[in-house]
Amino acid sequence: MLSTLIFLQLLGAAVVGFYPAALTGKLARFISLFFAIANFLWTLFLVIQFNPAASGQQLTETLPWIDALGLNYSLGIDGLSLPLLVLNGLLICLAICSSDQDIQRPKFYYSLILLLSVGVTGAFLAQNLLLFFLFYELELIPLYLLIAIWGGQKRGYAATKFLIYTAFSGIAILASFLGMVWLSGSSSFSLEDLHLSALPLTTQLLLLGGILVGFGIKIPLIPFHTWLPDAHVEASTPISVLLAGILLKLGTYGLLRFGMNLLPTAWAYLAPWLAVWAVISVLYGASCAIAQTDMKKMVAYSSVGHMGYILLAAAAATPLSVLGCVMQMVSHGLISALLFLLVGIVYKKTGSRDLEVLRGLLNPQRGLPIVGSMMILGVMASAGTPGMVGFISEFIVFRGSFPVFPVQTLLSMIGTGLTAVYFLILVNRAFFGRLSAQVMDLPPVYWSEQTPAFILALLILFFGIQPNWLIHWSQPTIAAIVHTPTLLATSSSGKDLQQNLVTPNIHIKTHQSHF
Amino acid sequence: MLTTQDKLSNYLLIEFVQRLQTGEALLKDSTENVLEVVGILKSYGIVLDAYSQNLIYIAEHQFLQFFPFFKYFNGDVSWKKLFRHIWHNRINFEYAEYCLKSMMWHGGGGLDAYLDSNEFQAIAQAVIAAKFKNNPLVNILNQLFPDALTEQLRVSAYYSGLGQFWRVMSDIFLDLSDRYDQGKITSIPEVVDLIKAGLVSNALNPITYSVKIDGKVWEIIPKSVGLTFLPDTAVPYVEAVFFRGTPFLGVVSYNAQAYQIPPDQSRFQYGALYADPLPIGSAGIPPTLLMQDMRHYLPEYLHKIYRKSRRGEDDLLIQICLSFQKSMFCVTTATILGLLPYPLDTQDISEQQANRMNLEKWMKRLQNSQLLEINK
Repeated sequence: MLSTLIFLQLLGAAVVGFYPAALTGKLARFISLFFAIANFLWTLFLVIQFNPAASGQQLTETLPWIDALGLNYSLGIDGLSLPLLVLNGLLICLAICSSDQDIQRPKFYYSLILLLSVGVTGAFLAQNLLLFFLFYELELIPLYLLIAIWGGQKRGYAATKFLIYTAFSGIAILASFLGMVWLSGSSSFSLEDLHLSALPLTTQLLLLGGILVGFGIKIPLIPFHTWLPDAHVEASTPISVLLAGILLKLGTYGLLRFGMNLLPTAWAYLAPWLAVWAVISVLYGASCAIAQTDMKKMVAYSSVGHMGYILLAAAAATPLSVLGCVMQMVSHGLISALLFLLVGIVYKKTGSRDLEVLRGLLNPQRGLPIVGSMMILGVMASAGTPGMVGFISEFIVFRGSFPVFPVQTLLSMIGTGLTAVYFLILVNRAFFGRLSAQVMDLPPVYWSEQTPAFILALLILFFGIQPNWLIHWSQPTIAAIVHTPTLLATSSSGKDLQQNLVTPNIHIKTHQSHF
Repeated sequence: MLTTQDKLSNYLLIEFVQRLQTGEALLKDSTENVLEVVGILKSYGIVLDAYSQNLIYIAEHQFLQFFPFFKYFNGDVSWKKLFRHIWHNRINFEYAEYCLKSMMWHGGGGLDAYLDSNEFQAIAQAVIAAKFKNNPLVNILNQLFPDALTEQLRVSAYYSGLGQFWRVMSDIFLDLSDRYDQGKITSIPEVVDLIKAGLVSNALNPITYSVKIDGKVWEIIPKSVGLTFLPDTAVPYVEAVFFRGTPFLGVVSYNAQAYQIPPDQSRFQYGALYADPLPIGSAGIPPTLLMQDMRHYLPEYLHKIYRKSRRGEDDLLIQICLSFQKSMFCVTTATILGLLPYPLDTQDISEQQANRMNLEKWMKRLQNSQLLEINK
């Protein structure tokens, strides 16, 4: 069943890419959208098949592949990967929808998007370290090409920078994976065969270091972030949507799956430093965002800041905070995708993303009033306004992290305030006031262009009001992977927290009842 | 050193004064401008017709009414009209009242002077006494606050005055449209000439106001006062609505405490000729109502022009406002030329000089207007 997700999109990429005749942009988009929707529907079917009460891997598939290397084709799904798979399915559809009809070389473009999705899907499903690595690397190639070919003026620079950074990321991850298997004496790269707890702490720390650097580049965390703003600015809108919405989540997913889950002792040892790292990421990302005049760069730096919340919650590693991680991944996926879509529409219509130039775009007659309204909704969600999914996820992150790292959590909460600052600057400059004379004669925005953003806005509101629909898929998985007793040894708050943390399930339910 | 403002001022003075002196209009002549101006004035004429009928109805039948709930119904109250009124698919008579209040606030002309005279006070008190002869409570209140009901009658007099002014203007604009349809109007100067001729021929029309109480007619503004169309309603209207206007709440906010609003009313520049067409459609801006009303009566040829624009008719109200502003500059041209101290074609050098100085004064007032924008 899970393989269908991979092979359906692979088939789609092949059909579009190797179509015997020339394809118009419209037809290529239609065919790829057909496969993307089919993939999304299949994902939803898997959601129905998924048992939310179970904590382990479900719907597993295992086939031997290269036994000598310890590589097998092993797929599975749990409460950590399921929401991200659904998010990926949705965002691929929306990215294809929001691609230009008259895009150059459409066959190549759409087949690369589907290939990208294959890589991401495979990485989320893989239950073998090598298989994960293969899919993780596979996703880099289409993304590099999508930026390098269909990007902006400095696309070559941005794509190369992205490739270099992520190549290093891959090397660090591969080195850690190899170390995990060889040092633990495991017979294969299968996740279920790995038993790393017996390794000395120093070894674990070394392995975790590789994981942190590797996935830290992907997330990205300070100081590995510099590729992201360039990539976002130069990438076309649909690619920015995918990059922010789902590809960054590979990094946080990797941290949780292979860092916190496999190396809990080392993780607990480093947790206070990780929390500090998270604070730096949050505050630095927000400060940089405030200084930007390019809307897209502002949203990109906002991503850097918001991914810091995930690291903070992961560092705290309480059941509630890890639940917050998953929520924040989904929430950030929806919100950042919405913001990039809207910035894309603004750029397409006005020819500018410069906050020094844009003014009054909310003008009901000649501006972009619906786009502006959705932008206001998006930035409110990003700033954690109640009633939207951003609030729920950030609240769970802070509530879950505060008992373990109160100071770091409070400092991170400043980031939420700063988010409101820079997004208010964005909205105030670009959307309020009188329409700028330089962008007064704007073409109309068609519903087909706005629909993807509209869908995301609805989901942001929906999950803001009904977060339980997200939470209950992940809760048992998280309860199982969080190694609470280990953390207690390094918890800054000591014994007072024990009562809360040793009973994770009860803890979650207590807080869940608030929503 | 010349500043930008000086340059603009000089440009306006030289370019547009010369243009007016040679018989051209403030709006440059082009086929599309003619089409826009005539088309918008046609719809404006229809709307003005409705406004004027309602203003005169209110003046004659709703005067001294404390709760004129059905003042916009012209005496024809029915469920159908009520539903239409609530549904808002109707003429926005409120716009006419905004203009009326603007005229009253800025004052000027013989009407304003007469309404402050003792003669009017005496007539007003007599009318109030007749109207409320069986109402001791109102009589007592009138004794205590004699200005209250008199002020109400002043407002009613403005209802009537503006109604009569718009009655004439509506006929002029509809006549213009008919002539255009007959192929008799082909240029902007011809549009201006026709409006000017209409203003001049009606210049001495008497402005009167009378009401009927228990079968007896009370002349609140008798003919003997000598109020006439051009100096006592047209000029104050142009001054108040075209030039001065009022600062409105909307996309642009004004801070009086920061001296963003001149302390002197005569220096106000918030009239139709200065209005920014872009905020049209926002909440709380009165001209929006006029644009909405005109939208219902646009001729097809004007729709065709609007549909050709980049946004089609998505920004219809703004396009209407732009056309309306063009047409108002034509009316202003007619007014300026009509108020010249000497004929435009005079051969007397001193008269030419006086005309030029008069035109320069007007142009100085239009320095911050949308004149250059509409001619782009």
